[in-house]
Amino acid sequence: MSSKGLLRGASVSANAVWHRSSFFPKVTVSVHRKLFKFRSFSSTATTCSSLQPPDLPRLAKTAQISLTPNEVEEIAPKIQQVIDWLGQLQSVDLESVEPSIRAETENNLRENAPETFDHRDGMIASVPSYEEPYIKVPRVLSMD
Amino acid sequence: MNQGDHYHHTPRRSIRPREVKVDLPHFFGKDDVEVYLNWEMKVEQLFACHRVKRRVRSISKEKISENISLTSFLFLFKFIHSKLKMLSTLQTPRSLTRLSHSFTSRASLADQAAAPPHSEILSIRHALLSRRASAADLARAHLARLRRPEPRLRSFLHLPDDDALLAHARRLDALIAAGHDPGPLAGVLVAVKDNICTADMPSTAGSRILEGYRPPFDATAVKRVRELGAIVVGKTNMDEFGMGSSTEASAFQVTANPWDVSRVPGGSSGGSAAAVSARQCVVSLGSDTGGSVRQPASFCGVVGLKPTYGRVSRFGLMAYASSLDAIGCFGSSVADTGILLHAVAGHDRFDATSSKQDVPNFLSHFVSASSLESKPLKGLRVGLIRETIDDGVEAGVISAIRAAALHFEELGCTVNEVSLPSFSLGLPAYYVLAVSEASSNLSRYDGIRYGNQVYADELDSLYGGSRANGFGSEVKMRILMGTYALSAGYYDAYYKRAQQVRTIIRNSFKEALNQNDILICPAAPSAAYKIGEKKNDPLAMYAGDIMTVNVNLAGLPALVLPCGFVEGGPSGLPVGLQMIGAAFNEGELLRVGHIFEQTLQNCRFVPPIVAEDIGY
Repeated sequence: MSSKGLLRGASVSANAVWHRSSFFPKVTVSVHRKLFKFRSFSSTATTCSSLQPPDLPRLAKTAQISLTPNEVEEIAPKIQQVIDWLGQLQSVDLESVEPSIRAETENNLRENAPETFDHRDGMIASVPSYEEPYIKVPRVLSMD
Repeated sequence: MNQGDHYHHTPRRSIRPREVKVDLPHFFGKDDVEVYLNWEMKVEQLFACHRVKRRVRSISKEKISENISLTSFLFLFKFIHSKLKMLSTLQTPRSLTRLSHSFTSRASLADQAAAPPHSEILSIRHALLSRRASAADLARAHLARLRRPEPRLRSFLHLPDDDALLAHARRLDALIAAGHDPGPLAGVLVAVKDNICTADMPSTAGSRILEGYRPPFDATAVKRVRELGAIVVGKTNMDEFGMGSSTEASAFQVTANPWDVSRVPGGSSGGSAAAVSARQCVVSLGSDTGGSVRQPASFCGVVGLKPTYGRVSRFGLMAYASSLDAIGCFGSSVADTGILLHAVAGHDRFDATSSKQDVPNFLSHFVSASSLESKPLKGLRVGLIRETIDDGVEAGVISAIRAAALHFEELGCTVNEVSLPSFSLGLPAYYVLAVSEASSNLSRYDGIRYGNQVYADELDSLYGGSRANGFGSEVKMRILMGTYALSAGYYDAYYKRAQQVRTIIRNSFKEALNQNDILICPAAPSAAYKIGEKKNDPLAMYAGDIMTVNVNLAGLPALVLPCGFVEGGPSGLPVGLQMIGAAFNEGELLRVGHIFEQTLQNCRFVPPIVAEDIGY
C-alpha cells in the first residue's frame, strides 16, 4: 500500500530530522493525506489504518509472556481498542518536527573507572536457583 | 461574578470545645514542661515553658489530665503565642490573634479549625533540639497514629517492627544528647513508595513477580533521606509497576481514600498520598511518570510535587518509562514538601540523566504569613490553561479552580487564560511512549536473577511462565501494546510520532511560560471516584490522566496543593490545584504555593478519619 511504503521509506532515509522533502512526489503525499481524512480523532471503531492489527499470540511470544487462550480472548479486544485510540497520532501533521528522546538534559558522563559493588551477597541471595558460582537455568530448546 | 458562587465552603464540623484537655505526661519535676493541647479538632502541638507548669501546679494531680477552664487556657495561649514568635516558626496562626481579642466567644475557637497548615518537619525539629520531646516518644506517638486507621486504609505494604524504628529513634536521641546535630529531617517519619529500593525492607513495586524481593542497596533518594536523620517507616501500596491511576491495580490490596473509604486514593502513588493524608507519616516519597504523584495528591487533599526531570536521581527507582519517570514528594504542607525535595534533589553519579544544576535552599522561600504584605504576589503572571476547564471536567472541579484563580488575583497576580492547542495530543503520545519504554524496562523481570520463578524444563517456558504468573493483567496489556508499537515497521507510526508530539508539547509549554510565570490547571478532571468504577474500562482510566501527562512529556516541575472541595463522602472531597513552572524552577513554585496555601481562607484539609481520631 502506498501509504505503508511512505512510512517504510521514511524510516530508511532520515534519522532524526524530517524535512519537507521533495523526495516523495506530491501525488503520493496527497493520496496519503486523503486516506487519513477518513479517520476521526477519537475513533474506537474498526481501524482503517494501513498497519496490521496486533497479532496477540505473536506479541506474547516476543514479550515472553505465556498467555492462555482464555486470556488472549479477554485481552485482545481491550488492546485493539487502545491501539485504535492511539492511532489518532497518525492524523497529525508532524512534518519538519524533530523527535525528542526526553526532556532537555545535559550530557553527563561518568568517569570510566570500574568500582566494586559491596553487597554481592545480597544480590546472590535473591537468585532463585544458585549453585556457586553459577546461576542455574534450564536447557534452551533450539527454535525451528 | 460573586465570589460566593465559586467558593465551595468546607463543611466544617460544628465542634465547640467546652473544655480543653491538657495532658501532662511524665515531665513533672523538670523545668520545661511539654503541653500537648488536645481538643477535638487539633490544630498543632504547642510548646510551653515553666511558666505553664507553675500555673498548672495549683491544680491537683488528679485534675491535671482533666480540664482547665477556658479562660486559663486562653491565657496560656497568648503566652505560648509570644513564645512561638521567638522560636520563629513558619507562621503564627492567624486564629491566635483573633483569640486574644474575643475571649469567651466559642465561635472564634471553632474558626481556629481553619488555620493554615504549618511545617510538621520544623515543629519536630524544634521539639527535638529544645529537648521538649524525644525522638522515641514522637516515633511512638506517630506509630500509634499509623496503626489505628491502617486496617481501613491499607496504605502500607510493608511495615517494619516497631522495635527497629524505636531503636533508630533512640540513636537519634543519643546523638542529640551528645550535642550533635541530628540532621534536618531528624525524627521525621517518611513513607516510601514500594517501587523505590530499600535495602532493609522488601520492594515489590506492587507486583507478585517481586514478592519478598529485598534489594541489596538503597535508592539514592532513600539514602539521602536516611543520612539526614529521617526514619523510613514503611513501604506504601501502589499500582503494579506504576501502571494505573487508582491503586486498584496493586497485586496485593486496594488502598482507600482517607476522605471516603469507598473511594480510590488515586494512583499510582495512592498509598503514599493516603498515608500523608491520614497523618500516618509526616511526608512520603512517590514516583510520577504520568501524574502518579499529582493526581493522588489532589484526590487525598495533600501537597504533591513532581520535580523537573533530572532534578532527583532515579537510581533505585524501578523503571517504568525512563524518559518520563521522576521521584516526587508528598507532604501535608507546601513547606514540608519543599524540605523533602531539598533533601533528595541533586546530581547523582549513578543516574546519567540527573542534572548538575544547583539545588537552591528552598527553605528560604517560605515566608511567614504574618509578614506578608497585602498583595504579596504582585506582578506574578498566572496562566490558566483553557483546555483544562472545558467539557469533560466536572463542574465542581472547574469552580474550585476558578476560585483559586480569584484567590491568586486577590494576592496581586494577573490571571489570564492561555491556550495550548496541542494539549489533547499529549495523552495518546504519552501512552505510546510509556507502554513502549515499559515493554523494554520490564523485560528484566524474568525470574532468573531475582523475583519469583515458575520453574519449567525449558528456558523460554520458564520466562513465559514466570512473567505470566507474576505480572497482573494491566501490566501484561501494557507490555504487549508496547511490544506492538515497537515492532519492526511500526516504530515510525507510533513511537517516533509520539516523540515528535513530545517536541510540539515541549515547545508550546516553553512559549506559554515565556508569557506567564506559572501555569495553573486542575490535577484531575474529577475528584476521587468510587473503587471499582473505572477498573474495567482502560480508556476511561487513561482519560483521567489528561491533566498531568503533558507535564511529564515536557519534563517540567509541577506542584499540586488542595484548593477546595466538591460534594461527596462524609466531609466533601478535596480538589487539587496544579501549578506548573519552568524547568528547574521548583523554588518559585514552592514560594508561590506556600503563599497561596497560607492565605487560603476557610479550608481545612484534614480528612474525617484523622479528625475523629482522639489521639491526634
